[in-house]
Amino acid sequence: MMKHFTVRSLGSAAMAGVAAISLTLGASPALAQTKTLKFVSWQKDERGVGDWWASVIKAFEEKNPGVRIEWTKVERGAYADTMTTLFAGGKPPEIVHLASFEFQKFADQGWLEDLGPYIKSANLDLTDWAGQSACVWKGKTVCTMMLYFGNLFAWNEELLKKEGLSVPTNYAEYIAAARKLTKDTNGDNIPDQFGTGHETKGGGGQYLSELMNYTLDAGGRWTNDAGKVTINTPQMIEGLSRWKDVVKNSLTPRDLSAGEVRQMFADGRIAMKLDGPWLYPIIQKGKAKDQIKIGPVPFKPPMGGSSNILGMASEIPADAKKLVWDFIAIATSDTFQTSYATLANSTPPSPRAKTDAAKVTTPHFDMLVDMAKAASKAGVDRIPKGLELNYNEFAKMVMEESQRMIIQDLDPKTVAATMQQKAEAIQKQ
Amino acid sequence: MAQSRFSLDLARPSRQHWLGYFLLAPAVILIAAIIIYPLVISVDLSFQNVGIARLDQPRRPFTTDNYARLFTSPDFWNACWVTLKLILVVTTACFALGLGTALLVNNRFKGRSIARLLVAMPWAVPEVIATVIFAWMFDSSFGLFNWLFITTGLADKPINWFSETGPAFAVVATTMVWKGYPFVSIMILAGLQSIPDDFYAAARVDGANAWQRLVNITLPSLRPVIGVTMILVMLWVFRDFSIIYVLTGGGPLKATQTLSIMTYEQAFSFFRMGYASAIGVVTLVICVIAAKLMMSRAPENL
Repeated sequence: MMKHFTVRSLGSAAMAGVAAISLTLGASPALAQTKTLKFVSWQKDERGVGDWWASVIKAFEEKNPGVRIEWTKVERGAYADTMTTLFAGGKPPEIVHLASFEFQKFADQGWLEDLGPYIKSANLDLTDWAGQSACVWKGKTVCTMMLYFGNLFAWNEELLKKEGLSVPTNYAEYIAAARKLTKDTNGDNIPDQFGTGHETKGGGGQYLSELMNYTLDAGGRWTNDAGKVTINTPQMIEGLSRWKDVVKNSLTPRDLSAGEVRQMFADGRIAMKLDGPWLYPIIQKGKAKDQIKIGPVPFKPPMGGSSNILGMASEIPADAKKLVWDFIAIATSDTFQTSYATLANSTPPSPRAKTDAAKVTTPHFDMLVDMAKAASKAGVDRIPKGLELNYNEFAKMVMEESQRMIIQDLDPKTVAATMQQKAEAIQKQ
Repeated sequence: MAQSRFSLDLARPSRQHWLGYFLLAPAVILIAAIIIYPLVISVDLSFQNVGIARLDQPRRPFTTDNYARLFTSPDFWNACWVTLKLILVVTTACFALGLGTALLVNNRFKGRSIARLLVAMPWAVPEVIATVIFAWMFDSSFGLFNWLFITTGLADKPINWFSETGPAFAVVATTMVWKGYPFVSIMILAGLQSIPDDFYAAARVDGANAWQRLVNITLPSLRPVIGVTMILVMLWVFRDFSIIYVLTGGGPLKATQTLSIMTYEQAFSFFRMGYASAIGVVTLVICVIAAKLMMSRAPENL
């Protein structure tokens, strides 16, 4: 039978297949009528902020019948490479959600639309919008800042009371308390209660944020306002010494991810924690929620900075751009900035957001606002000025040199000098 | 004559082999599309100074800078060394464990079926799940291994498995061996069952003990199977990404940074896709050479 096949018969079969596929694809008029905008985010399943995004999507779809938002979750760990692949493949999501430390690479490629004309035409007032200045890339406003935060200080009052400790108000008290609170409680020679908690495993960005709690309090900065690297200073050396003290002496559990450390704190295995507003919803679900209190950070200035941005892909049709702007307009409206405070338990960047309702559900909300203001006033950000484009490489370098300092017991002074040299080389690339 | 002049009668003896080509064509085209095309693109990118690559971008000027930078980079040579160490440790351990377990479950004993199942089980566990389980077992604060080491007196204080260079390498190698040895075991078990019993019977008659039977009959008979299996294990270690990435991310201090981790980091963390492509191309060349060397040492009937 097979010998009777001909090229013509094979070709005819192929043509028939193609025709069948074409017919199948063409036979869905409903699909053709519904316009879909893609929105990729790592925050989809996050309690609080995920609910807020869902409410924005709902409002948008109600306002624009026939337009659907296809909301997809991508894990934070795989986010940068997924978004890079989507953009590089020419199929970016129309609504662009990125971390504030990674959007610069996308903006630099010209992949983010200049929102300036849209902002002007909509009369959107971004004066005093927290962290918005970071969204200006090469003179163009390529995004709107969705969160600028300040760290808060949370402590387990019961653990502190057991040791006769009062709440620390400065670094000296904090480190003394951390030493006293780190112990082996079940006698197996393995410490299972820790004074404080930091992520020491994982990406450079989170490592840098954890380390900055100490360098900022010591008065150190990675770069100055002109973008010049300033690591080899007495203040930075002091900050690095503090970090070394905390990690080398295992006052924090080692090798855990940020999420695991937060959970340990919420469950009462860590006594004190410096973290962003997202810690509160985790505390509420933890075993030790009744023992945990929240107050101002004992360090000055508090760690803080920009978190994530919302933008528009530049290479999409004009009608899609209008719709994306509509989505951004809803997200940045006074109504939704107000609901951001309530649903996400975070400080909305808009100065016009009303936070009265949030104060009812989040008792420490005023403190969150104060911490964000204190961080903003001190010009604190995770992304050092002048190193925006090479942030990932810089953060990785800082993480590796800090690890080297701890593993090889190096003098922080030598480490600061090495970091200075390497940071300058990264900046020159 | 009833057919048009463009028809091709595959029934003609001289054209019978054409049908084979036609049937093979879809597979060949598919392979070309998903393997050869990206490979060509990668080689091309490796000769350009590209940050984030896009197919619709105009081609950048030809340069060998990526390769020059690669061969003078201490990070690259470190990654080569780590990869080589990992290959040696994991392949050797997988071979020893795989051979041992295969010989064990090849014997007749009560519960042999369950033993075979247990030996093969790690292979069936998805790699990421196995990795997460090992990450918890090696956890420095609450992991099983630290408890075990301290309880048995092997260590007097907790080992920081993921933040010390030696322990981090040991964790990665252990996880890879656990995940990789069942494959070796299954392959060798299949090989063992193809060795005729007459060989062993004759050896026993000649007075050969168990060790002599292993060295003079079992291992020589298994050489083709062992050769292929070791090449496959070596290539698996070479390209494996998820175990290392989930456990250590290549750290600390690049102690577990293999070539595949370095490629990923350069491409998707530092957005240097031209440079990352150069690492990928060099990795491919090393893989081909290593596989070729191992194949050339294998017996004729491999």
